[in-house]
Amino acid sequence: MPQTSKKQRLRNILLILSVIGPGLVTATADNDASGIATYAMVGSMFGYKMLWGLFLITISLAVIQEMAARMGVVTGKGLSDLIRENFGVKMTFFAMVTLLIANLTTTIGEFAGIAASLEIFGVSKYISVPLTAIFVWYIINKGSYKKTEKFFLGLMIIYISYIISGFLAKPDWKDVLKNTFVPSFSFKTSFVLIFIAMIGTTITPWMQFYLQSSVVDKGVDVKKLRYQRWDVFLGAFWTDFIAFFIVVATAATLYKHGIVIETAEDAAKALEPFAGKYASALFAIGLFGASLLGAHILPLSTAYAITEAFGFENGLNKKLKEAPVFYGLILLFIVIGAGVILLPNIPLIKLMIIAQEINGILLPIILIYMLKLTNDREIMGEYVNSKTFNIIAWVTVVFIIFLTLMLLVQPFIQI
Amino acid sequence: MANVTSFYLSRVIGNRVYSEDRKVLGRLLDLIVDAKNIRPKVIAAKIKSGKGIQIVDFSFFAIYKEKGQYVIETRSLKPIEVQKEDTIMLVKHILDKQIVDINGRKVVRVNDIRLAVLSTGVYVIAVDIGLEGLLRRLGLAKPVKKILKPLGKSIPSKLILWDDVEPLASPRLDLKLSTTYSKLSTLHPSDLADIIEELDKKTQAYVFSALDEEKAADVLEELDVEAQRNVLENLPVEKVADVLEKMPADEVADILDEIKEERAEELLNEMEKEASEEVKELMEYPENTVGSIMTTDFISFKTHFTVEQTIQELRRLKPEPDEIYYLYVVDNEERLCGVVSLRDLVISEPQTPLYEIMSRDVVYVKDMDNVNSLVEIISKYSLLAVPVVDDQKKLIGVVIINDIVYELLKVRKKLA
Repeated sequence: MPQTSKKQRLRNILLILSVIGPGLVTATADNDASGIATYAMVGSMFGYKMLWGLFLITISLAVIQEMAARMGVVTGKGLSDLIRENFGVKMTFFAMVTLLIANLTTTIGEFAGIAASLEIFGVSKYISVPLTAIFVWYIINKGSYKKTEKFFLGLMIIYISYIISGFLAKPDWKDVLKNTFVPSFSFKTSFVLIFIAMIGTTITPWMQFYLQSSVVDKGVDVKKLRYQRWDVFLGAFWTDFIAFFIVVATAATLYKHGIVIETAEDAAKALEPFAGKYASALFAIGLFGASLLGAHILPLSTAYAITEAFGFENGLNKKLKEAPVFYGLILLFIVIGAGVILLPNIPLIKLMIIAQEINGILLPIILIYMLKLTNDREIMGEYVNSKTFNIIAWVTVVFIIFLTLMLLVQPFIQI
Repeated sequence: MANVTSFYLSRVIGNRVYSEDRKVLGRLLDLIVDAKNIRPKVIAAKIKSGKGIQIVDFSFFAIYKEKGQYVIETRSLKPIEVQKEDTIMLVKHILDKQIVDINGRKVVRVNDIRLAVLSTGVYVIAVDIGLEGLLRRLGLAKPVKKILKPLGKSIPSKLILWDDVEPLASPRLDLKLSTTYSKLSTLHPSDLADIIEELDKKTQAYVFSALDEEKAADVLEELDVEAQRNVLENLPVEKVADVLEKMPADEVADILDEIKEERAEELLNEMEKEASEEVKELMEYPENTVGSIMTTDFISFKTHFTVEQTIQELRRLKPEPDEIYYLYVVDNEERLCGVVSLRDLVISEPQTPLYEIMSRDVVYVKDMDNVNSLVEIISKYSLLAVPVVDDQKKLIGVVIINDIVYELLKVRKKLA
């Protein structure tokens, strides 16, 4: 009966819309300052050669994010809660140190993005960085963070201009397609490092904690898990769709002319086919939005994760005196994040990429915890991982560890 | 070899278990206590040996201290059956989990557990939620203490006596608490509501469903909207309906306004007809009208009642304190015609009819009036409650000052 199926379809769409949010928001926020820098670097240094990697990462990303969302829906608990309750203090400590290092470097990356984006408008970092640091602290304390989040997410829509630019730059589509599906690899240190950074910026430790908490916050019911999955998959696709076009746009413009990105202006050049002389300004606004959002999310979600795991008081509705560890962590993140950028002669773009390399190297640790949890029948009940999911996730873990090991042994082999 | 009088769980878990002639029999994985007693006694141990994982009788065990290390010795590994409902496994159910600190009235995480060795056995006496417990688990407590000592500082430690602890069963854990949170029930409903708000959604529903209906009704009123919604949408309809029947109709109407229409409908159908109809009527009032915030639980008396009859009626009804601020007097058509205060009633002769002592000059509002007009009237005449009438001047409800304060706060929150 065609009519019922139409009704059914409408119903399904409505149900999907009711759970949409956490996955898509997390994914959009994932294209943060360091993400943009990394993808632009991928395109400008290696052309289309890493597109196949991005394609595979999208599948891993979708699978891993789904695991986090499913855990949130089934258990109603955050990731750090689950790690503490199931692995004890020592393992939790290890996981939290990992998260702390990864997130702290990412926060530095976000402040680098703030400095870089405003430098395009001629604002010195010695003015922009301290001011934004104060602004971030103010917004978080005022508790109006949720509203602010939407505003900055809106600024990131600007990255759609990369899609248009990607088309206008007239890339060799045959070449693009070929490289998307046929792997090519180089054992050069720079290639491996950028590859790890690409994984590290697409699948990050903080996203797993952030996404799971958002799903828990939204209170999605187990019965709607099927629809929550669509939210996550859509998010993964969206995040990498933008990434794909950043790589294509930078490859078709910068790589072709042998420009390697060293400053934010260089990265903006990829937008020239679309925005012409306004390319820099457009890029700067987008980068600023992305960085500022990241500079809010990272301190806040780290503070939540760590205080939850160790049982310290937390929450923005508490006063500074009631939750000193919570606010202390937020402040520490903002001060260090902004402070490092204020050191003279800091290469901003390079810093954003280093942050992603560290994220990539530390990612397997968090993934292994997640895999253990999502395979535990006592925690997940009938919602444990499927075989396919386990294989994809484990391959990701092993592959990143392999890349990391390669980096470590390489200096010895090259001699 | 030294006798032990008390020890921390973390110091013995994972240690080897020896026989009396010092052969390794296995490793200690968990301690199992009886949950029925106020002082939980360790009755069994979970051991991992070459034969796999076993639950064995703890009465053959002894714990010593040798060269600063704890030694666990047993005369026998006698298997024992334990009832899931009556026991708690310390590592699996308590350690690293959230519990309620009854005195502190909050949810805390357990870092360690303190046990005492008495002649009659080993007992759980307290849980450690402090920083010291955390560092001890990490193996850092001693070095950190050494560093801090010359500075004249110490690590803050915090123990909560087991008497002041309520373990929280998560639905996924096979922990069934036969006592159904008896300690939680001693808390004030608004404290209990604060605690429930801190829990994850699943545990929220679980704890709430274990409360008796009266308590649950009081707590539900105090919960924030999000937690209310969670409880109302995730518990069985019958259970929620029973709780809602115990609440004032106006509160129920407020709560049902916040949840999905379908579910609200379901709940109203499940409730007793009389109660649900009152709620339905209230829900029909548009927002910001007096009708939407009034309560229909009020008491009224007919004009010809004598003082004695009235007092007898009050004794029978035993109204809540805020229902007897003012006693309203109505005629045979239920039309509001006067008000009597408790003072008037007490100082008058028993045989006086109400119409002789009532004040005919009653300040009232109409059900369709705007809420703002209420605020003006209440502050102008310094009233504690205002009667609400319909077009025919029939008395249909009362607005109590508490509800107005709540309403004002809600508006202010929205603006903030």
